[in-house]
This record gives sequence, structure tokens and C-alpha cells, in this order.
Amino acid sequence: MVTSRIGLGIAVFLLLTAIQIQSNYHFLLNSNNNKDSIADFLVINKTLDNNSLGNTKLDQALINEIAKQPFTESVGILTPSRFKASIQSISNQFPFYTDISFESVPSSFIDVKNVSFAWDPSAEFVPVIVPNMFLDIYNFQFSLSQNLPQLTPAIVKMIVFKLTVYGKNGPISFNAKIVGLSDRISSMLVPAEFIKWGNNYAETQSDNEVSRIVLKTNDPSNASIASFLKKNNLSTNTEKLRYSKYRKVIDTVVAIAGFTGGLMLLFALIIFTLFIQLTIANCKQEIILLITLGAAPRQLAKFLLGQFYPGNLLSIASATILIVALQYGLKLFLEKQLIFIPSLISLFTLMTAVALSVLLWFVTRKSIQKHINN
Amino acid sequence: MGFILNNVIPEILADRPSVGISGIWGSAIEWAKGDFIKITAPSGTGKTTLVHLLYGLRTDYSGEILYEGKNIRSLNPDELANIRQLHWSIIFQDLRLFPSLTARENIELKRVLQNPIVTPEELEKMAEELGIRSILDQPIMHCSYGEQQRVSIIRALMQPFQFLIMDEPFSHLDKANKKIAAALIASECKKRNAGLIITDLDQDEHFDYQVSLNL
Repeated sequence: MVTSRIGLGIAVFLLLTAIQIQSNYHFLLNSNNNKDSIADFLVINKTLDNNSLGNTKLDQALINEIAKQPFTESVGILTPSRFKASIQSISNQFPFYTDISFESVPSSFIDVKNVSFAWDPSAEFVPVIVPNMFLDIYNFQFSLSQNLPQLTPAIVKMIVFKLTVYGKNGPISFNAKIVGLSDRISSMLVPAEFIKWGNNYAETQSDNEVSRIVLKTNDPSNASIASFLKKNNLSTNTEKLRYSKYRKVIDTVVAIAGFTGGLMLLFALIIFTLFIQLTIANCKQEIILLITLGAAPRQLAKFLLGQFYPGNLLSIASATILIVALQYGLKLFLEKQLIFIPSLISLFTLMTAVALSVLLWFVTRKSIQKHINN
Repeated sequence: MGFILNNVIPEILADRPSVGISGIWGSAIEWAKGDFIKITAPSGTGKTTLVHLLYGLRTDYSGEILYEGKNIRSLNPDELANIRQLHWSIIFQDLRLFPSLTARENIELKRVLQNPIVTPEELEKMAEELGIRSILDQPIMHCSYGEQQRVSIIRALMQPFQFLIMDEPFSHLDKANKKIAAALIASECKKRNAGLIITDLDQDEHFDYQVSLNL
């Protein structure tokens, strides 16, 4: 009996651990303290290989399917410029010239805040958002090799340069300024209005093909994102999905713990049922005599429930208390690494413990009733 | 209202010639609450069977037994338990004690089966009267049959009842102890305004019987 109660305790512990780990994981994903703003946005395009070369269009059906996935919060289309363009310095002290292309993205996907990211033909300048990475490449590679000065983000934002768009009616130049640096989308971003204007001006025969989209997800570690992308021959910044590999391992471990816990619980319940049956069979003569002397079957069942159930309840309570202690310990441990989880176990874990107590009470009672009536 | 027996014949005795001359089997009988009833019968005529029938332990009979207007064969286990706790008490011929318990535990178990009406002090007093106080804490299996019989008498007096049903309750007691036990039983019946039904092999004058029947 003691062994089977320890078994029950372990079974409950494993089940509750599985649930609590899931709960902690979801807390980490949804908590503002822990939110990783980079990881929530994934830029997706077709994997470029010999088969997809020249055919990187994402058709509308696929985009709709991506939008429908449970891991998708929203989808934004990256619209590329289809006009020839160049930028050049207007300062002789700091000369540069390069051909260039741009993309635009719906403003809700832009992480540069507090600036007006809009354009119309009468605007003073074209605002541009540049990937942080470009500035890093300049500062830590290019400037050193070309003997040019290093630039801070603040200085970069003060530089005005000339942006030239080439169309059938000749080149048109604008002033342009970098208004922000972004980690989210590795592309030179300009307002959608400018892309539209430029594409019109250049009169490109574009059919508005979409080759890249940006996906906002609440859980970049969701393993189904990686498998969905793989299935559809799509790729993204794999670094952003690296957590999905850990997540897969965690999910597997949690699933194994949960499954083992469930299996052990089942065995524990069977053992208890058999134990009750055996005890009642052993006391059959005494039970008959008690009933002969006037004990009501209900009285007997109540008495036997009082004999069997409290021990089982103790197993469940011990397992729950252990989980509570471990959760608190884990909280203190992770706090030092600036990862914040709740100090108490989740309500769902607690409810599961209560539900298991009710289940055990029900099984014990039914088993006693069944064997007494026999 | 008490017991009414209508044409009751146990299946196992149905073919025996003694049934034809019985004062109980096959007859219409009414025993009122408060009656002291003596049933005398030689061995093998069904004394114990009658006790078991009245107490609802057996249902293999023809005819019907009514208690307070209710056919006892139709009582469900909880109704039967309720009647056995509050209306009927019993002393079995084979005593039916719990062998693994002490004398006191055997009595106590019955005392607390329903709301106790006898205090532990009264229990001690009864044991004192019947001369078994010193063996109360001994395992019942180590007591003599006579002592066990007295334990089972005290056990039967631990509950409220309207009828005390007894099957040869004094078979292993000496004359003096029989007298003491009968006096205790009579006074406990009087306290409860209850009747008793006693079966025995011979005539006796343990109680003032209102009804005396031969089985």
C-alpha cells in the first residue's frame, strides 16, 4: 500500500510538472518582462535553389494559408521597388555613390517609433530606415578599410543625401534622410507611398508580385513554424527560429513526463482498486457480520472510504507541495539570470491537482461500493 | 403493531411432518410490541430458522412476515439496517462475535453503530453484573463460551429496540448466571417498553411470558 501511494505521488508529480513547465513556458512567451522584440517578426521568402531560381513569387493562396496558421498574428507584405535608383552624398567631405533598391512594409510592422514615416511628392525629404547591421558593417569593416570616420546613429540621422529615381522621363532627385535604424527587417525601408510613386514613374510592367512577407508571431519558438516553412519550401532567418529546436526538446521531455505520469496514475488507480477489492475480500466475514448486526452498507462504505482515501490524498498533496517548492526555487534561480517566472504554481496546475483528488475519490468510492454490494 | 406472521413455512422444513403440528409454521400469528414471547421447541424443529426469518437474514420461506405492516422481504438493505439499529436486537445461538477483537471492542462496536444510548459506565456496570468485567479487555477468542455468551448478551443491550430476539441465549450459563442475565434483560426491555422473543429447548421461568408457543 505504501509503495503504491509513493507511486501515486510520483505519478501526480510528473503530471503536474509537465503542466507547470508548459505554464511557465507560456508565461515567458507572453510576459512583457521577457519579450524579445526581434524574435516576434520573421521575414519569409522562398528558399532559393536551382528549382526556385527566377520563380520566387509567393502566391496569394500561400499567403492566405500562412495568415491562417495558428502561430500567425499578422502578415505584412514587403513591397520591393521596381525602379532603378541611386544614392549619393551631397557633401564633398564625405563622398559616396551607390545604386540601390528599397522595400516598404505596412507601418504596423516597423519598430522605429516616434518618427513620421510617410511621404508625398511635396515632402521635404524621403525618410529611410536602415538595418542596424548595415551601420555595423560600415563602422567596423568599411570605415576601417577605407580610412573613413566612424559614425554614430545620431550622426547618421543628420546626414542628408541625394536619392535619384530613374524613369522614362529622366532621373528625378530627392533629398533623403535616415530616420531610424532597425533590427527587425534587414532591408532598406522607405514609405509605401514612395515605392508606389517610384514604380509608377518608372512605368515598370510589374504585376505586383510578392516575394517576401513579414510574419508577426506570438511564439517564434513554436516548432510548427519551422515545420510549416520547411514543408512549403520557405526560409527565414534561422537564428530567429533557434528556440524552436530547444522548444522541440522541451516539448518532447514534457510529453514523456506527462505520458509517464499518466501511465503511472493509471497503474496506481488499478493497484488501488485491486487493493480495495482484496481488503474487502479479506474482511468479507467481518463485513457480513457487521451488516447482520445492523451496519448500513452506506455506513460501511463511508468508513472504508475514510480508511483508504486520506492516504491517497496525502500523496497528491505531497506531490503538489513539492511542485510549489520547486517552482519557488526555480523562480529564485532564474531571477538571477533575469528570467522572470511566477513564484506560485499556475491555477491550471492547482486545478489539475484538485481534479486528480476528485478522480481518486470517485474511483475509491465506486470501487468500495462495487465490492460491498457484491 | 409488531410482528405478523401469515402462513409462514420455511422451504427447508416444508416436507417435515413436524410442520403440521407446529403452533407457528403455517399459522396466522400476531406479536404485539412489549409482549414477552417464549417459543419452546425440541431440536431440529426450526428454532434458529425462525430467529433468522424474523431478523430478515433468510428469505427462503412461503407466506409473509410483516413488521409494522411492512413485508420484511421487501425491505432494502438501508431500511433493514435502520430497523436492526433501532427496532430489533439479537442474540445469536452461535454468538457471532468478532474473533479478532476484545470483549470490550465487540460490545463497543455495537454501542457506536447508531447514536449511543448506553454510556461506557453503564456498559461497565452491566459487565460487572454479569461477572465479565475482568475479561473485557481480553481477546474474545481467549474467553470461555459462557463468557462469550454474556458478552453477546451485553452487546445486544447496547442499542434501542422494540423486540429483543434471542436464540437459546443462556445455553452455556449456570443457573445463577442465567438468573442474573435474565433480570438484566428484563429490566432493559422494561426501560425501552420493548418485547422479547426467546427460543429454547425447554420450558423455563426466566421471564413473565405473555405468549408461549410450541414450534
